[in-house]
Amino acid sequence: MNDVYVVGAGQTDYGSFPRESYRSLFKEAVDTAVDSVDAEFDRESVDEAYVGTLGVGGRQLGLPGPAVTEFAGLNGTATTRVENACAASGVALRQAVLAVRAGVADVALAGGFEVMNDVSSERTGEWLGVSGETEWERMAGTTFSGVYAQMADAHMAEHGTTREHLSRVAVKNHANGAKNPHAQLGFETTLADAMNAPAVADPLNLFDCCPTSDGASAVLVASRDAAEELTDNPIRIAGAGQSSGRVGLFQRPTLTEIPATQRAAEQAYDEADIGPEDVEFAEVHDCFSIAELLAYEDLGFCERGEGGPYVASGATEPDGERPVNLSGGLKAKGHPIGATGGGQVVEVFKQLRGEAGDRQVSGLSRGLTHNVGGSGGAVAVHVFEEGWA
Amino acid sequence: MGAYVSLPTWWRSNDSRYRLVLGKCPECGAHNFPAEGVCASCNADADFEEVEPEGTGTVQAVTVISGGAPPEFDEYQTREGAFATGIVELAEGARLPGMFCDCDPSEVSRGDRVEAVVRRLYEQEGVPRYGVKFRPVE
Ligand SMILES: [Zn+2]
Repeated sequence: MNDVYVVGAGQTDYGSFPRESYRSLFKEAVDTAVDSVDAEFDRESVDEAYVGTLGVGGRQLGLPGPAVTEFAGLNGTATTRVENACAASGVALRQAVLAVRAGVADVALAGGFEVMNDVSSERTGEWLGVSGETEWERMAGTTFSGVYAQMADAHMAEHGTTREHLSRVAVKNHANGAKNPHAQLGFETTLADAMNAPAVADPLNLFDCCPTSDGASAVLVASRDAAEELTDNPIRIAGAGQSSGRVGLFQRPTLTEIPATQRAAEQAYDEADIGPEDVEFAEVHDCFSIAELLAYEDLGFCERGEGGPYVASGATEPDGERPVNLSGGLKAKGHPIGATGGGQVVEVFKQLRGEAGDRQVSGLSRGLTHNVGGSGGAVAVHVFEEGWA
Repeated sequence: MGAYVSLPTWWRSNDSRYRLVLGKCPECGAHNFPAEGVCASCNADADFEEVEPEGTGTVQAVTVISGGAPPEFDEYQTREGAFATGIVELAEGARLPGMFCDCDPSEVSRGDRVEAVVRRLYEQEGVPRYGVKFRPVE
């Protein structure tokens, strides 16, 4: 199997950008990724491109992939649009990895985009929640935050998770996001403010929820031979796992776990020949605060049911045993659906290369990304290691 | 645009919508809702035995939606305010999502006993859509 390396990664700021289009955002992400490559990079050397987008708002429902790759100068590159809800670009990355491993591509691009803030509030309602199970879950009046709220309710009842545990995720991720120039909500918050925010879907409040975001991301991967021409500071993709699960929460055997995360992580760990204890830091899918606690447990960072005490212990703070969401996570950095998985890779790439500025944690050599679609219908997990194999 | 359940799709599921018909797996005995696809418990691709449940169950998880309901429920939320929705496990063992009715939404809790009642859910394209909601039982 061919080894695969990340040779470049870039993203736009996440936020609300009424002057930008989905095309201009994607091109900016590609330009930034190209600029991050150590050697001169010819974008026409990209053999395969995988572009994640849900298509919020409708804009270019057919052919959104070629619509952005041609615009960004990847002339004629084989382009495939990936739709797996919020896991679109995490899954796009795995497709790029598979193409290089298969020997079909020497260089491949994975990325994504979403524009969510130029849609009228009436239409926004039509688009948010389209990744829930439609016929039953949505038609029971359930919103997307409502599904995660139900998971939080069950987790609190089964494991004693508290309001404060949930808010500690928000406080930590906002503190990290305040150091990230790309972050949409780059401000700090206090525990009291996070705990007392207005209700959205009880028990979740405003500070338990990520924002809606515009943004794009792009990651360039290469085979060993191609990577040797492009960098002396390689980041290897040591493991790439993906799994599916039932789309509706009610259809799954548990309300307090995401089985697809467990399966994707097991595959990624097996490929990397590591266990969860070997993961030094991670970017996990904290679309809602409860989702980060579930991620700790499903990825094996702590015991089942111990996600709340684990965050309260400080273990996932920047100076803890295993920093999580140094970028600010979806909570503070933002969540442009199709771009999110690629954006997670940007943070891991920067941390492993020592290029993360004010939020750099020193001495990191192995990181993980965890990207969830819907409430667990699709999950991608990747493990990244510094250096040649 | 966005999520949409067409009328023919809705009508095709009437047995599930009105009577909560379950599919009992001949391989492992688990009850599936709705009664289609492979068995969620054992993955068997077998013909389910149709079982009409008694219609009572227990709340497994609940949330109170205070704003931003799915557009189909905009009118309902405007009229009624916050509403409770959750996951109910029927006495036979299958789970399904449902809204709670005839109660104060903030009073519904995990572990509560509820029963299914047919209610008007929403109207789309001039056609009212009916289905099950759950109300508390003492
Ligand atoms: Zn079965």
